[in-house]
Amino acid sequence: MSTRDLFTFRNRHFTIGVGITAAILIVTAVAGFVVLPFAQPWARFTSIWDAICSAAGVPQRTTSVAAQAQDKRLSEVVLTSRTLSRPSQEAIGRGATLAQRCAICHGPTGISRADSPNLAGQYAAVIYKELHDFRSGARSNAVMSPFAVNLTDDEIADLSNYYAYLPRPPAYHPTPLLPKPNIVIYGAPLRGIAPCGACHGSLDNKTGSPWLEGQSEAYMKAQLQAFASDERRNDISQQMRNIARALTPQEIEAAAAYYASQPPDVVKAVD
Amino acid sequence: MLANRKLILAHFWFAFALFGVALTLGAWQMFIRSPIGTWLSNPELYYRSLTAHGTVMGYVFPTLVAMGFGYAISESALEQRLVGVRWAWTGFWLIVVGSVMAVIPIALGRASVLYTFYPPLIGNVFYYLGVVLVVVGSWIWVALMSINLRVWRRAHPGAPVPLAMFANVAGSYLWAWTAVGAALELLLQIIPVAAGLKNTIDAGLARIFFSWTLHAIVYFWLMPTYIAYYTIVPRAIGGRVYSDTMARISFILFLVVAMPIGMHHTFADPQVGAGFKFIHSAFTALVALPTLLTVFTICASVEIAARLRGGRGLFGWIRALPWDNPMMLALAFSFVMLGFGGAGGLINMSYQLDASIHNTQWITGHFHLIFGGAIVIIYFAIAYDLWPHLTGRELIDMRLIRTQLWLWFIGMIVTTFPWHWVGILGMPRRMAYFDFGDPAIAPQALSVILSVIGGFILLTSGILFLVILARGMRAPQADAGAYRFALAVHQPTIVPVALNTHALWVALMIVLTITNYGYPILNLATSAGTSVPAVYVGAQ
Amino acid sequence: MSAQETHAGSAEVAARVERRWATIAVIIIAGMALLAAFAGIHQATMPQPRVETTDPSRIHLSGEFVESNLGSVLEPNGNVTVRAIGQQYSFTPACIVVPVDTPITLRATSADVVHGILIQGTNVNTMLVPGYISEQLMRFTKTGDYLMPCQEFCSFGHEGMWGKVKVIDRTDFATRAKAGGRLSCVGQ
Repeated sequence: MSTRDLFTFRNRHFTIGVGITAAILIVTAVAGFVVLPFAQPWARFTSIWDAICSAAGVPQRTTSVAAQAQDKRLSEVVLTSRTLSRPSQEAIGRGATLAQRCAICHGPTGISRADSPNLAGQYAAVIYKELHDFRSGARSNAVMSPFAVNLTDDEIADLSNYYAYLPRPPAYHPTPLLPKPNIVIYGAPLRGIAPCGACHGSLDNKTGSPWLEGQSEAYMKAQLQAFASDERRNDISQQMRNIARALTPQEIEAAAAYYASQPPDVVKAVD
Repeated sequence: MLANRKLILAHFWFAFALFGVALTLGAWQMFIRSPIGTWLSNPELYYRSLTAHGTVMGYVFPTLVAMGFGYAISESALEQRLVGVRWAWTGFWLIVVGSVMAVIPIALGRASVLYTFYPPLIGNVFYYLGVVLVVVGSWIWVALMSINLRVWRRAHPGAPVPLAMFANVAGSYLWAWTAVGAALELLLQIIPVAAGLKNTIDAGLARIFFSWTLHAIVYFWLMPTYIAYYTIVPRAIGGRVYSDTMARISFILFLVVAMPIGMHHTFADPQVGAGFKFIHSAFTALVALPTLLTVFTICASVEIAARLRGGRGLFGWIRALPWDNPMMLALAFSFVMLGFGGAGGLINMSYQLDASIHNTQWITGHFHLIFGGAIVIIYFAIAYDLWPHLTGRELIDMRLIRTQLWLWFIGMIVTTFPWHWVGILGMPRRMAYFDFGDPAIAPQALSVILSVIGGFILLTSGILFLVILARGMRAPQADAGAYRFALAVHQPTIVPVALNTHALWVALMIVLTITNYGYPILNLATSAGTSVPAVYVGAQ
Repeated sequence: MSAQETHAGSAEVAARVERRWATIAVIIIAGMALLAAFAGIHQATMPQPRVETTDPSRIHLSGEFVESNLGSVLEPNGNVTVRAIGQQYSFTPACIVVPVDTPITLRATSADVVHGILIQGTNVNTMLVPGYISEQLMRFTKTGDYLMPCQEFCSFGHEGMWGKVKVIDRTDFATRAKAGGRLSCVGQ
């Protein structure tokens, strides 16, 4: 027999090989697409065609489920790694002009001497998200909210890009450098707390999470307490409330004090 | 001495050097996250190390061993000059460049995405390009194996292809085709995003592409080991292969059914239909067949050796085996680990049982036992067997070699058995840190400590292995003669075309891939709205 | 002559033994496949029946995974549905409360990267792939607290992503469900 006869039914190996393979395929396909779907009463298929399509994995959009009405305003910002990635010089310039009105609290160079956050060099997505949330009422603050309500989408983007563009503050040390507390290094895995740096910039940045180094201790403590008590809830899908609720009051103090004492030079930039 | 010893030594040394590095990283990882380690306060370093360990052990090390061994087989089994030596060197250097290119971003923390990639996590583009270069380099080897066999066939029309080369080429075709899945994932999905040309990716589709590669790659890793079972072990212990035909059928079965089963890695995934999961589960059961056949044939071959040495009785012959022969020892260890690992594999294979251990340390234990244990211990034996033919020097210290094999075996058992156990308890994989102080997981601490001890035994054994090979480069010269493979009891004179060529089986493999993967891939690739925003890791 | 014949004879024997072994191997394998199919039908452990898609960056805006809809709800037929999401690096709700001895449907998805849900001590185990909705049936036979780690690498905080499941008495659950809303054991 020559190679030419390999792919003919006269070749015993061809017949057996193809025959057995085809038989297994057909049997398993019938079992997987027809028998098993209908053997599962909880799956509720409307027809054989529905069963086969479902077993084959044809994607279906979920029919809208009647969700409970949200009783409180929550963040409506959509954040992805694309949010505000490449700003133009003009955008930054417009942002600089707009930022003059922020200087009273956040400092003329984005570095606050009060207990407001330092914004210089903060991730653009963070400022973008918080301004949107202040504007929509998902987050509220007696001083800040009135400033945000009148901003347009473009103004928010420009401000975010401007502050992200400013150089990070040189270390401003209200307190001496503190040793890293365990809650910052390890988190507390079994309470569902990852190391802070996994989102907040020293290990990696989760889009929308600010870096914290050198921020006001009182501010960070107040925010953690607000998240823990559900008073602040503009973190999308409870991403920060989940963490803050699991923290003990001592851990909140330790984390806030530690971050306040750190210079922001360990913070990673986002591409 | 082998004519291409420089080429083969280059492959082996680069493979084993990287293996040494990755092994050290592995032992360090086990230690650092165990109750006895002091945590280094940076989970990212752990994930970097894990990415490097997986990338080297999964993509580079076994590929280079298979390639080096393949060149040795081609030259000695076919008894002809290796065609395309210059291309072979090109392939080798591509792999060297690719490995370095991949490892640099990992070391810098720009690609801590693990060797399984996990989009929508996206690392530095050079990491992925490095992996692509490694695969491209290995494809040159695939082509060379095919070409060399063709040259031989032209010179020996109709003659039975030596079993070692038949299996070697089957392994190379399997690799060529199975690597296509990851290559498609990298080239069509990940690299465009990593390079900034796109910023969304279908994570579900990527997992399907990866599963195409992920399971059959294990059988590619396994090929050199099975080739050694059939064609080296019987010769080394003075026996014969029980059946040449059965050996060919086993390799053919691997070629056909190793491929269309990868979706058993996605049993718990929401983007694959239940019907395809069932089909893949059934075909996965089938892949146990060639292994069962092999176990039978090899045990029979070993028995022949024992009886030739005067062994008697129903089981008495086992005592007559040459237990001081490293190859015999490695084979026994390999079979024991294959037995346990295979039993574990049967559990992973079914959807129902898989649910209780999916993505737990059980899986880590399982593939370390199969790959790191059953497969790699034979890589060691292959190296020991080939070394005199590559260096022209004798490996003298058989005791040290036996110690090394014993340590590897014991280390692997001590490492992986507790891993399986904590996996059943539900300990998840790939975590940089566990708080064993918490009473909820404190009972797992003892098992974890045990497996760390195993890890250090493995590290010791790995270092010994490198020391033995290095000393072998300086041992007294001795002519090892020509490199030979085992003969069958009934050496074939005529082999049916189907068992002497690969075309039919490669065709079946491709057809089965299309039936088992075609629809799931097309389905997601053409569905709108399944792509999600990329998440870049290790922002700097 | 005889040497040739013995050779052929022994080859015959070898082939017969091999065939026998191959038959045994095939029977073992077929048996296992049948067992898997049987278990799938009789223990309700089959993969989720449908593939459903969703947009992970907008799940908090509308649809079944908005914040107020996450948690456990007692359905009119007495079953319970749990809706949850995984995100870097927590589950919401971080503590899931369910009744014992009740059929429960877990519906979950990811808001960002690939995660996994594994409930220790049970065979509840599913991947959360962004863009797709995972569904799993479960039933707990013992009350108590269970750990629910994320079982898939989801970047550098993966090791800190552990949720909890609290299985409580059926009447307790029914009482708490009367107040309406979605139940969870967060903060308890």
